[in-house]
Parts: sequence; structure tokens; C-alpha cells
Amino acid sequence: MKLMHTKLPDFYQKLQDAGKKLRPETEVVVSGLENMQSAKLASLRVGRAEEYVEELTQDPEVTKIEIKILPQIPETIHTIVFKALRKDGTSPKTILGSMFVTGPAAECYYYDSEQVDDRRVPFD
Amino acid sequence: MNKLKYKLIPAGAAEGRNPINLIFVDKKDVVEAGLTYREACEVIAKNFKEPAAVNILDMDAVTVSSDGIMVDYGIVAFASIDYGMINKDFGYLEVSEQPYSTKLLEEEPHMKQWDNIDAYKGKRLYRGPNFEDRWPRVPHNETQTITGRIANNNTGSEVMNVVDMTEILIPAYGALEIMKDGEVLIGIAGPEISVGIGMVVFETYGRIFHRSYGAGLTAHNSGIYAKTVKSDYPAICGPKSTLAEYTIRALEIGLVPGKDLGCSPAVLSIAHAMGLPIAIDNIEERAWVELESVGIKKADMEKPVEKPMTKEEVIAHADEIVPGISDGKPFKVSDISKICYAEF
Repeated sequence: MKLMHTKLPDFYQKLQDAGKKLRPETEVVVSGLENMQSAKLASLRVGRAEEYVEELTQDPEVTKIEIKILPQIPETIHTIVFKALRKDGTSPKTILGSMFVTGPAAECYYYDSEQVDDRRVPFD
Repeated sequence: MNKLKYKLIPAGAAEGRNPINLIFVDKKDVVEAGLTYREACEVIAKNFKEPAAVNILDMDAVTVSSDGIMVDYGIVAFASIDYGMINKDFGYLEVSEQPYSTKLLEEEPHMKQWDNIDAYKGKRLYRGPNFEDRWPRVPHNETQTITGRIANNNTGSEVMNVVDMTEILIPAYGALEIMKDGEVLIGIAGPEISVGIGMVVFETYGRIFHRSYGAGLTAHNSGIYAKTVKSDYPAICGPKSTLAEYTIRALEIGLVPGKDLGCSPAVLSIAHAMGLPIAIDNIEERAWVELESVGIKKADMEKPVEKPMTKEEVIAHADEIVPGISDGKPFKVSDISKICYAEF
């Protein structure tokens, strides 16, 4: 888990490739990280993600894979950077604050699935 | 087929004032059904299917309101249910009993109520979950359960649907009345309750905080904005006379708002009306900013009342003395709830 990492654009591409490997017409929709322009993802998890996507396409009736990325802890603690800027772009002051955000939990995205196989990392 | 009894206040109840399904379970019924608290929540989830908050209450126990007033019930477990499920890691929380100790009473002056009020003496204490109960939440996470759309926060006292973003507050006396089939006051929390929720007491494993803010401090610490942070939410409260009665019990044993008890608008207003001491100088300036923003003026609190009211007078006039709740309407709990049975 602390080995090499995957670049964010490569991650998106790998998911698309895995989903279309068996049937190129399979639609693959990824959402959840739209506000991140750059990131690195744990390669071990990326490899598993590719394998999961390909596994789901084994069912010949499957025409679309929805991939939703959300925090495994539904209440996340965020840093907020409150930064003041002058006209010339220099900054006289920044206040750092915290924000606790509780979002919809994973059940909202899979409640109507006939089968659920939980392969997430356990907390204990 | 076995059955577990529970009380439901459905979404839309009380002339549409309640936006979220609220389920209350008596611990005795869980024990009688031979279930663990978690199993009870799972059984209800499988039967109910809709989004709801579930609270299991021990009516032979005691707890503490956010401003430090003891109340005779305790939430022993709470959960969020949705789509017939409970989130494996975050959908359920149990509240461990907090054992009596002289250390606890020394550290937390409001807990003198436990020793000095006959109705509470010797009863089991449940406030918030401890660190072991809360795992895998980190210390900064709120004391809430989350499944699907439902977040059941602050140990069962604030419930939100995080998809349609409706919310309802269930202050301590509201839950008490619901369990006793009494009367509740349902309305919009308003600025005074918004400020009051932040006037907490120092507690180990409190319903909201763990050893964070002492009496006289403001947890909100947001100046004139404190009165707006929760002012628009509906709340299911107990009658103001009930709040007054319980608050007076604490004041009568000598506890002082701002030093031993939280300096919420409700507690300050009752103490002032009765001519009882208020620790004016122990209330921090930031708290006064919030209090003054809702009309609780430091200068007024410093002035002795001309004619202190008796306990009976305060209870009789609680609706005029205790601030908070706009557009409030009383409802009999039996008129807005129904008894249901989950089969297992």
C-alpha cells in the first residue's frame, strides 16, 4: 500500500480501458473526484479497481459501469484556507479553518443492486 | 414470529412540521425481545425500509442536556437506517454507561445533581459514546451515525437527511416527552436555541463534546453569527414548563449558571427571574456577544430583579420567561406518533 502510485488521469484511463476490454461499447462513468485536478492513487488499489471493473463486465447483460468515488468515512474533516488577496495578487493574511462535511453514505449508490460484495479495507 | 415494539413519529407528522422519520425504542422492549441493541436496530431497518433515525432509550437512567441539566432518561444506542440497511461501520453507535466516581463529580460541577437530587440518585448515567464506542470514528468526528441519507447526530438529538437536506432537532425534554407519551412543542428553533446549543458544560464523553468547553464558554464561538447557525431548523421540544421544572431542580441545589451550568438563554432567564446568582464575570466576552445578540443583556442580568419569582410562578409563566421556538405549536405525542411492531 505504500509502494508506487498512479497519476489521477492515468487512473481514469485505466478504468475506461478495463470496462471496455471485453466489449468496447460498454459505457464507463466515473464520478466523485471532479474537484481534484491532480492526485496520486495507491497503485495496489488501482490494480484491484481495474480487476473489479473487468469482473463486472463478465455478465453479458451489463452495458454500463457506474463508478462512484466517495469517502469511506462519510463525515470528512476538511481544511479550509481563507485567503485574502490584494489587487496586486499579494496576500496580507490567511486564516485556516476546519469544516466537517457529512455526505450521503455509500448505500445511496447501491441500494437497488441485487448483490453486494464488500471488498473495502476493513477498519479493524 | 417475534415482534419488537417501537414508536414512530413519521415524516410529515405534526401538520408537516416533522420532516424525517423518527423512531424511539424503549430499552425494556429490546430486552424483552431478547435482542442486542444493534440487533434491534437491524430488525427495525429490515422491517421499516425507509430512511429514519433510531434511538434506544433507558427510561430508568439519567442523561445531561447540552447546558448541563440532568434529565431522567438515557440514550443507550442510536442508529441511522435507510433502504433496509445499517451502514456496517458508521450506521450504529452504542453509548457505554459512565460509572459514578468522585473524580467525575469533582471535575464536572453540574454533576452534583446526580448526588443531590433524589430522582437521579443511584441511576445509571448515559451521555455520549466513549472512544471505544466511537471506533472507527476519529476523535474529531461528530457523535453521529450515518447510513444512506440519514445522519443521526449529537447522540440522537439532531437528525438530518443529507440528500434533501431537511433536519430536525430533538432537545432533551422533547425526547423525554415522546417516551412518556406527554406533550411536545414543535416549531422553528429560532435564534435563542441556536445560541443556547453552544453554551455547553465540560464533560467526559458528553453527548456532543468530550472535555472541550466549560460553563461560561461558547462552543459556537462565532459572534453574532451564532444566532443563525441552527435558527431555521424545526425542533421537537418539551413544554417550556418541563424545561423550567428540570432547570429549577438544578438551580435549587445551588448550581450557578456560567460556572456550574451552561449559560444558555433558557438557564440564564430562569435563574434571573428567580433572583438566583449568575456567574456574570465567568461568562467569557465571546459568549456575551452571542447572548446579547438574542437580547440576553449583561447589564440586565447584573441588575437584581425587583420581585424574584417562586419556582411555581416560573413554571406557570415558563412560556413567557423561557426564550426560544418561533411558530411553536403543542401536540400530544399520541396524536403525532404511532406504535409499530418489527417482526423478526
